[in-house]
Amino acid sequence: MRQIRPKTAHLTGRRTTMATLAGLAVLALAAAGCGNSAGPSSKPSTGAGSAHQGGVFTILANSSFGVADPAQNYTLEEWQLLIDTHDGLVGFAKVGGLPGTKIVPDLATSIPIPTNGGKTYVFHIRRGIKFSNGQTLTPSAFVTTFDRQFTVPGPTSFYSGIVGASKCSVKGCNLAKSGGVIANDSAYTLTINLTAPDPEFMDQLTLPFAYAVPPNTSLKLTGNNVPPGTGPYMWKSYNPNTEAVLVRNPYFHVWSKIAQPNGYPNEIIEKYGLQVSDEVTEVENGEAQEVFDGDQIPSDQLSTLNSPQYAGQVHVNTLTADWYMALNTQRPPFNNLQARQAINYAANRTAYVKIAGGPSLAVPACQILPPNFPSYKPYCPYTTGPQTTWSGPNLAKARALVKASGTYGDKVVVDSTNDQVGTELAEQMVSDLNSIGYKASTQLLSGSVQYPFVQNSANWSKWNVAWSAWYQDYPAPSDFLNVLLGCGSIHKNSDASPNIAAFCDPAIQKLINQAEADGSTNPAKAAALWTQIDHMDTQQAPWVDLYNPKQIDFLAKNVHGYEWNPQWYILIDQLWLSK
Amino acid sequence: MLTFIIRRTLWTVVVMFVITVVVFFIFFKTPGVDPARALAGRNPSPQTLAEVRAQLGLNRPLLVQYGLMMKRIFITRNLVSYSDQGQLVIPEIFAAAPATLSLVFGAAIIWIVMAIVMGVAAARLRGRIYDPILMILALIGLSAPVFWIGQVANLITQGGLHNSVFSWVPPLGYTSFTVSPLHWFTGLVFPWITLSILYIGFYARVLRANLLEIQTEDYVRTARAKGLSERRVLLRHTLRTSMITFVSLFGLDFGALVGGGAILTEVVFGIHGVGFLTWQALQNLDLPTIMAVVIYGAFFIVLMNALVDIAYAWLDPRVRPA
Amino acid sequence: MAAVAEQVTSTGLRSAAVGRNPWALAWRRLRRNRLALAALGLLLLLIVVCLAAPLYAHDVAHDGNVLGPNLNGTTIVGGKVVPVMQEGGGILKLGETPIGPTWDLHHYFLGADNIGRDVAALLLYGGRASLQIGICSALLCCIVATIVALIAGFFGGLTDAILSRLMDVIWAFPVYLLAISLATELLTHSNGIQIGFLHVSATSLWTPTVIIAFIYVPYVYRPVRGQVLSVASKEFVEAAIAQGASNFRLIFSEILPNVVSTVIVLLPLMIATTILTESALSYLSVGVQPPNVSWGTIISDGQDLLYTRPWVSLAPGIMIVLTVLALNVLGDGVRDALDPRAKLRVR
Repeated sequence: MRQIRPKTAHLTGRRTTMATLAGLAVLALAAAGCGNSAGPSSKPSTGAGSAHQGGVFTILANSSFGVADPAQNYTLEEWQLLIDTHDGLVGFAKVGGLPGTKIVPDLATSIPIPTNGGKTYVFHIRRGIKFSNGQTLTPSAFVTTFDRQFTVPGPTSFYSGIVGASKCSVKGCNLAKSGGVIANDSAYTLTINLTAPDPEFMDQLTLPFAYAVPPNTSLKLTGNNVPPGTGPYMWKSYNPNTEAVLVRNPYFHVWSKIAQPNGYPNEIIEKYGLQVSDEVTEVENGEAQEVFDGDQIPSDQLSTLNSPQYAGQVHVNTLTADWYMALNTQRPPFNNLQARQAINYAANRTAYVKIAGGPSLAVPACQILPPNFPSYKPYCPYTTGPQTTWSGPNLAKARALVKASGTYGDKVVVDSTNDQVGTELAEQMVSDLNSIGYKASTQLLSGSVQYPFVQNSANWSKWNVAWSAWYQDYPAPSDFLNVLLGCGSIHKNSDASPNIAAFCDPAIQKLINQAEADGSTNPAKAAALWTQIDHMDTQQAPWVDLYNPKQIDFLAKNVHGYEWNPQWYILIDQLWLSK
Repeated sequence: MLTFIIRRTLWTVVVMFVITVVVFFIFFKTPGVDPARALAGRNPSPQTLAEVRAQLGLNRPLLVQYGLMMKRIFITRNLVSYSDQGQLVIPEIFAAAPATLSLVFGAAIIWIVMAIVMGVAAARLRGRIYDPILMILALIGLSAPVFWIGQVANLITQGGLHNSVFSWVPPLGYTSFTVSPLHWFTGLVFPWITLSILYIGFYARVLRANLLEIQTEDYVRTARAKGLSERRVLLRHTLRTSMITFVSLFGLDFGALVGGGAILTEVVFGIHGVGFLTWQALQNLDLPTIMAVVIYGAFFIVLMNALVDIAYAWLDPRVRPA
Repeated sequence: MAAVAEQVTSTGLRSAAVGRNPWALAWRRLRRNRLALAALGLLLLLIVVCLAAPLYAHDVAHDGNVLGPNLNGTTIVGGKVVPVMQEGGGILKLGETPIGPTWDLHHYFLGADNIGRDVAALLLYGGRASLQIGICSALLCCIVATIVALIAGFFGGLTDAILSRLMDVIWAFPVYLLAISLATELLTHSNGIQIGFLHVSATSLWTPTVIIAFIYVPYVYRPVRGQVLSVASKEFVEAAIAQGASNFRLIFSEILPNVVSTVIVLLPLMIATTILTESALSYLSVGVQPPNVSWGTIISDGQDLLYTRPWVSLAPGIMIVLTVLALNVLGDGVRDALDPRAKLRVR
């Protein structure tokens, strides 16, 4: 997924306005193992021992996450709070490290095996759970939840495979009538029918879009009023200009420690509108617990965090995300494979990593899949050293390839966002392109314009290289290889055409289809296929992959029990405060 | 006088109308701007887009679209931000207004007092070395970019000296008066000074020139001939007369600052006022917010201009036919 | 900004020094004004130094391009080779800090910016852009305003009413907000603007130039129109009309020469104003666009480095203050020289 945080207020924060695309990354393997958490890993028992309960956990954020309606919000910032106030049928285990990548039943009693050729799921819903307004949870809550996916304009594509979804629109939706989502409130079951089998459906159900809201919730946008949920906390207030306040849900009891444990703090407050530098100062002084905008800490202050005094408070973890420059494969010069490979050889990834804040905050990359991802095998053909990791640019080879491609001296437009980091990345790319004989220039657009702009085929003639970033939605290689580089992801004349490079190789697409099909029948074979596809894509060079970013969390001295969940990152309610 | 007021008011209304039309066209009718696209969410399907377009009335005739937009801004006041659909633009602007007003009022007090002191001093000390020194100082004030002065102020008060001399200066940002009057004050001291420097320089120069001009007028000479002390002449006669220019200038500048002119000061000090709001909207290309701020800002300025003109005409009947 | 407007108005309206050769007279008066001469000297020096930017750039260039990033570069401090971007310390090694001022003219005299560029060299290139935009937009503004004012003032009646009301509308907008709106619009059009067969790319220096020129037109228009009105009612114009002179001749050979002095008085003050406006727009990131740099963009970039590398924003600010101060002093001098009866004077 690629996210643009709704508001990018800045001052010092301009450094990484677009790093705020923090998505929810997920990954399968050993995420915790690779994060060099500097903090002591004091592990709490995940059941919230009452000894540690209490206190107010204050998060400081530069800007709010925009509209709060869970059917529409697509930001990690709100999702980190929604996982504490709401539940879905299933969810990622709310623990740190590798176990956190596992999908466990939450409001459903178990994870059902699909029937009807993989198209029908029957969930048994837990009894005796109440919403924070006292209403009892019934299966029909989910009918409302899924109807709202279509009546509240949002990223509807996740659930468009449900039977009857095609008839839904902002004007109305009745999935129960069309037989897509059927609730049986006496047997406490929920049946979901899909139009085609979808191996990633369970992943999609873990997302907060699919969290249960009371059946009588309006089908219209609820704006900044969050409908009641079933989690250990509830929304007391939310004002995007000032703060969000979460207090304990009086009706909550633990039904599954792994899916939804009780939380430690009595209250969670997220304050908005602070300068990132002030966030850091307040947390340094212990006046607040967490800096939300770790990726926007000005370089000035980053150096102060290196002091041993804060060693236990800074946590750095790898994200499964790519920052890349898409090459426009529809237009010269980069419709030419040699030209694409040339710039891949020439791109000085050390420089891009420095723009990202140095090697401790980003790792140079050549291939599409990020490290610690299913099917990832290190591969980097575009360097001087061994072809597994990037060690330095190979300018001689790059220049030779440019000569051979006959594109020497071509004009190249590098499109990027106009914030500081976007500008810097574009300027470095221009410098790299010029070093091998192109005549490059930048084209900088506002962050909210740039992403739709480069996706739309109507603008193909206007750029050759486009910056973009992708944070995965859930741990499946298809989320990178098919979503970003599959033939089916090119939608002409649409602003939602995630294959920015407009790269389509029929041979590779055949393998992708094969791997998708094998996904449910022969996972091992599929995994090997994905690895092959990743390397083939890399050889075809539709992108210049720049680096995989890391997440930095800065917490107050009195915060304990930090763990890194690969899906949700920081688990706010699982942190406890010493008095 | 009454006809003048009526004519001036009518003209004010016409200007306001033209402004709304111009702004509407700048923001909503330039090719390449699709409001529906921005409001439809991240990955809208074509039919969602079409529906949103219909909801917004974008498929209606231009005149109706303009009418709808104005209704959203002035009557129902439910114009929705692009970047956050839960956010209504107009209440947001009104919520930001106190910060801007605090900033501008405080700065205005400083610049009026300082400008009078400097202007009068320079006029009194004419022919001595102090006069040119004061005027060069005023010129320097006129010549420095306000955001840069703000940065220098931040460097001094938030940097190395923050832990000693300037420990009383809170971190950048605005604290509402109702939350903590003390923080409100300490947090605004440097923004006030920064914003006022330009105007001190300018007003001091104008005042000095004005005073020197009036000193040659007959009634001042008469007053002097009557044996009134130089100080009395200055205070009772010259200063009072030159206040007319001073006050009318002040009306215009005050209007401009409240109407968004303080954006640079607000941005550099992180004061969440109307200017800062515009700046944020600019970062997200949140056109409704920018548009609403520009319209409200322009209205305020037009209104202040009209008030100044009417006041001026009332004080000085000679300008009425103008 | 009413401040600017009024300054302009109060100077503009009174400048009808009529002598036998008013220009020679004015020049003689200006030459006697030592402060104004010093300002002129400083201004010329700044222009020459900025024009010489490529020479200095050649001296400090790392790989031939001072305006490009130099993130992996090295430089020499005290005889030792050091990286331009310095990695953070401690266990975590967070962040990359650009090198600070070395005070060595050949090696990062004022240090580096966020992408390792030599701030001293940028300062000179930035000055070129700032001065170019300032001067060009002030000229453009004065020319357009004078033409409109001539037409309005000469033809009067409905023409005058329409043009003056149009100017009033532009005048009514908050200056910076209008500029921001226009810039936002123009920059969104990534392909730039097409005016007839003239194409201006969005990142061109001409985009801010045109915007700034446009927003200040009413501020020059008002005083010049007043002057046109007063000249048009003079006897010599009536004499020319009686002789059957064409409108064109009347405007350009009778009226224009008599309002030129007003415009010339306004010009330095307008340049001062436009340079300040350019820096403000660039600070808000809607002015000069990369790869171009101006003093405003350098200050904006320096904001992130304010506490550790303050010279990145201090230096361009000082340059702006010097330039604008020189222009203001010169402006006062020119006004005094052209209109000795002017009442608003520095000395």
